[in-house]
Amino acid sequence: MATGQQSSDGLMKWGLVAPALLLLIGLNIFPLAYNIRLSFTKATLTQAPADHEAVGGRNYARIFKADESNRYAAALRTTARFVLMAVSIELLLGYLLALSLKPRFPGKSVVLLVFLIPMMLSPAVMALFWNLIYDEEFGVLNQALRFVGFASVPGWKTDTAVKFYTILMIDVWMWTPFMMLISMAALNAIPDYIYEAAEIDRARRWTVFRRITLPMSAPLLILAALLRTTDALKQFDYVMAITGPNDPATETLSTLMYQVMFRNFKVGLGSAYAIVVLVIVIAVATLFIRYLDRLREQEHAL
Amino acid sequence: MTSQPFLEICNLCKTFGGIKALDDVSFSVAEDELLVVLGPTGAGKTTLLRALVGLEQPDSGSITRRGEDLARMSPAERDMSLVFQNFSLYPDWSVRKNLEFPLRAPGRRESSADIRERVSTVCGMLKITHLLERKANRLSGGEMQRVTIGRAIVRRPQLFLMDEPLTNLDAKLREELRVELAVLRRQLKTPMIYVTHDQAEALSMADRILVLAEGRILQTGSPREIYEQPISPVVARQLGQPAINIFQAHHDHRSLLTADGTVIATGLSKGAAPTCVVGIRPENIAIRGGATPATVEVVEDMGASKIILARWGDQHLHAIVGKDCTVRSGDQIFPIADSTRIVIWEEGALARASRP
Repeated sequence: MATGQQSSDGLMKWGLVAPALLLLIGLNIFPLAYNIRLSFTKATLTQAPADHEAVGGRNYARIFKADESNRYAAALRTTARFVLMAVSIELLLGYLLALSLKPRFPGKSVVLLVFLIPMMLSPAVMALFWNLIYDEEFGVLNQALRFVGFASVPGWKTDTAVKFYTILMIDVWMWTPFMMLISMAALNAIPDYIYEAAEIDRARRWTVFRRITLPMSAPLLILAALLRTTDALKQFDYVMAITGPNDPATETLSTLMYQVMFRNFKVGLGSAYAIVVLVIVIAVATLFIRYLDRLREQEHAL
Repeated sequence: MTSQPFLEICNLCKTFGGIKALDDVSFSVAEDELLVVLGPTGAGKTTLLRALVGLEQPDSGSITRRGEDLARMSPAERDMSLVFQNFSLYPDWSVRKNLEFPLRAPGRRESSADIRERVSTVCGMLKITHLLERKANRLSGGEMQRVTIGRAIVRRPQLFLMDEPLTNLDAKLREELRVELAVLRRQLKTPMIYVTHDQAEALSMADRILVLAEGRILQTGSPREIYEQPISPVVARQLGQPAINIFQAHHDHRSLLTADGTVIATGLSKGAAPTCVVGIRPENIAIRGGATPATVEVVEDMGASKIILARWGDQHLHAIVGKDCTVRSGDQIFPIADSTRIVIWEEGALARASRP
């Protein structure tokens, strides 16, 4: 009887786990395994699976080829530059905004609301609006520049040296409010009495900032930076709207993958590239999780 | 020897949105005195300290130190140190840097050797030498508060202000630190204003107690005075554990009786008002020799003594008896108050006391 009880318990366990397990296998594990298999073939979108031609590691070799004209490495560099610049500019601007908005003043809530609007909008739609704003002939931006007296106006979407920054500016506009919001939460969490104690101790303003404000708001700032990093790594919308894919000056991981897979139909090569991107994302995610663990440890220590 | 007081506070008022946090508060602090401000939550204790240190601007009134008006001085210029109820250390600095900080502040020029010397003296006093290199956010609550107190002491201010510094610590640590703090202050010979709602702290530490409620000073005096001659039932209830017994009573010849005829005390001197409110400390009640019986409800054994809660006519009664007393709950006792130690207030004191 005891064994009967046990086996029915086991059945129950499997019964409960099965749906989730099937979904996991069907939607995550099988596609991943199939993707890995594809990455070692020269498959195209129109071929039947039986016709896939194995090419060994040649797809990977192509991605990692040390060559000036290697567009895969170039896209990786562009993305890294984009992430680094976007996240640091947004963090800095957002933190400065939060610091300057800390004192109470009349109309503060209205000002805050205005600052937060970009974050509430859809990135894809905003990218299309920015595309209009940046239009070289009819765009609001260049018209305004001409109006204030600039003889030559930049080719926001065509100049190879400018394009990248055009896209960067959209991201900064869109996500600085997010950094500001997190920064404000971090600043508000610092209790007043610590500042008051410092005031009685005759601390300089810089010391107060350096020794109280910054260290006590840092954990949340790092968290915000990590969140933004994972998001910026996926940059796709703004590039598609401003330059479209297949532009060497602005090609990112996502747009290149799109180009290889859905424009050139090179499924094998695209799969290999997807695997490389996956590894990068896992690395960033690991960093992120490690950091969260450390935060939790610190809380336990207190 | 009537010298000028160290600190003199005159007619201090402060209102927050229609609520009088401080209502015409006047008192003085002598050189080398530990003044405890005792009062319930919301009495205005913290506001008082914040006004003294300059974090809050009073609506009216003056604060002078040795004849010098402090009104226009910034908190830094006032040269007082304030210890908050919460730990207010620089989190990412070591204990050493936290302690050194007030000495390195702008406007102070002290040699490094001097600073090290003073930090190590303070560490010795507070027994935190072993924590010097540890980061402030890695300390336990008790350690943090020691360091916070150390930071207040190290720069030798003219006045210490303590805002319930021990409240967030556990009971054992609290009792330990309050003694140390009082001893330390005596060594430093610096006056201190110590704010608390803990009657035990007030009794054990104070040179003088100031009882504050709803922004008003109710009474000032030595701990003994306030304990034995409280001017009203409200003040009387602030001190003593268990709380003082308070009854509505009337005189009958030389005895005190409650409305139901319970005899509280006999053998009083004549001349008191016919009806009154009386306060009797639990230790001033004998449980034998009375005229009216009482039924024991609870006996609490406190180790060194026992606390009896009894029903005495229509009243509840707390009495403290010796540890060898064998009375148990359900027993009958005959309580009687020590007539020389009864506090008598005029009739109506109770009504005023219970007024919101």
